[in-house]
Amino acid sequence: MSHDDHQTHHVNYLAVFFVLCGCTGLSVLFDVLSMPKGVTIVLVLAVACAKAMSVMMYFMHLKFEGNWKYVLLAPTTILAIGLPIALFPDIGRSYYINAAPQVTSWADEVAEYEREHAAATEGGAH
Amino acid sequence: MGIPIPNSKLGMWLFLGTEIMFFTAFIGSYIVLRLGSNGWPTRYEDTHINVLLGGINTFVLIVSSYCVVVAHEAMAQKSFARARGYLWVTTILAFLFLGIKGIEYKGKIDHDILPGRIPETSSQAMVKVADQLEELVRERFHAYTHADVIKAERPADIIGIAPLVQALPSAERPSSLTDAEFKAFQASSVVDYALFQQWLDLKQHIVADVSLDSPALTADYLAKREELAEGVRLPALKLEEVRERLASLKTSGPMKVRAGDASPEQSGSPEQAAATGDAGQDAVTALNSQMAGLISARVFDPHPMVYGNIFASCYFIMTGFHAIHVIVGMILFGMVLKQGSSLNERWTDWVENSGLYWHFVDLVWIFLFPLLYII
Repeated sequence: MSHDDHQTHHVNYLAVFFVLCGCTGLSVLFDVLSMPKGVTIVLVLAVACAKAMSVMMYFMHLKFEGNWKYVLLAPTTILAIGLPIALFPDIGRSYYINAAPQVTSWADEVAEYEREHAAATEGGAH
Repeated sequence: MGIPIPNSKLGMWLFLGTEIMFFTAFIGSYIVLRLGSNGWPTRYEDTHINVLLGGINTFVLIVSSYCVVVAHEAMAQKSFARARGYLWVTTILAFLFLGIKGIEYKGKIDHDILPGRIPETSSQAMVKVADQLEELVRERFHAYTHADVIKAERPADIIGIAPLVQALPSAERPSSLTDAEFKAFQASSVVDYALFQQWLDLKQHIVADVSLDSPALTADYLAKREELAEGVRLPALKLEEVRERLASLKTSGPMKVRAGDASPEQSGSPEQAAATGDAGQDAVTALNSQMAGLISARVFDPHPMVYGNIFASCYFIMTGFHAIHVIVGMILFGMVLKQGSSLNERWTDWVENSGLYWHFVDLVWIFLFPLLYII
């Protein structure tokens, strides 16, 4: 493949740069504004996706590449999304439950044991 | 027939495909772990995550990405000097990024926000204070056994060595030491024994889970417990008490803070130190102040943080691997810059491919910034 294949696409890189800077400012603004946590998360992730799309489309020239980009990137993207989905039932839902040592004091556990022990003794007496 | 791009570019895109999976494994695991936890440290006082520094680093990477794309454009137009200029700016910005990251890492290290070192409960925080004091006592006592001032069968047994350290001001000088050297050891032994007492007192209170206002050492503790009605226990140790005790040690030194169970002759004072041995009062007072400084430097203020360790693991693994990628990018650009004025069109593919790599590094940071710094 020769070097003549480097095409000029007449992209206004400076405009893309300013869009990216503006998006970064928006992210910080959303953090500073006191909004509900859920709204902040959605907004900053939406801004991050917009920034990522700008970088991929214009800086990485994916907008101007042929269909090979789908063949190359679709499998990795599917696998990448699949990993958190696969982990979620095992870890995301039940990894740290309330009985984890981080949120349980020994005093509570001893008290619970004693309650159960007392109940078992009473049950045995009957 | 085939994919209409240079082989090197195809190789880079395939590599970036694996990189997408590599970073998504970290980012995905982080999201899943965070969703699965009942809490997550987000306050600045806990995490020492600086949004401003993260924002500046984001800006730095965006500028560098712009410079790379313009450098590639210049290469395609055979404007090699211009391309080199933009690549220099990119490399300098990469150094700046790593410098800012280094400042952030230092903030974490200074506050011991490191995986596996963060206490998650009050009791863990108290144990950590005692462990760090113990480490200091061990280090201090090692000086005596190492210099043969104290002959001990088991040098690591600090409880066994402690009476020998206590008795040093009235001990005979070993022939291996000069008079001045021995006097220095005698003076420091007074302070080191006081430090040992402080550690032992705290440790006993933690083991017995008894307030610092109550006795915790064996005889007094048992006597006090005898006085209690059945089912009643001595007041439990509180984190606030440990915090206050440590603050006193850091400001006044171990000689001037009375350990709860220390008897008058044990608790010691500079005056007693001067009276019991040859060690001068001034020397002991100065050493006590030095020890206060040493405790300040070596023992962290207790700061329990639920899920702090998993947070620190996620933070360092993601930002750490990202920083490694930044370094690799700098090497790629460095190889181009090494060509100097002889840079020519044969390097155009190289600049394009390393540019693609650099944009990917920027892309990863675009997601790390909101996930780690904002949410």
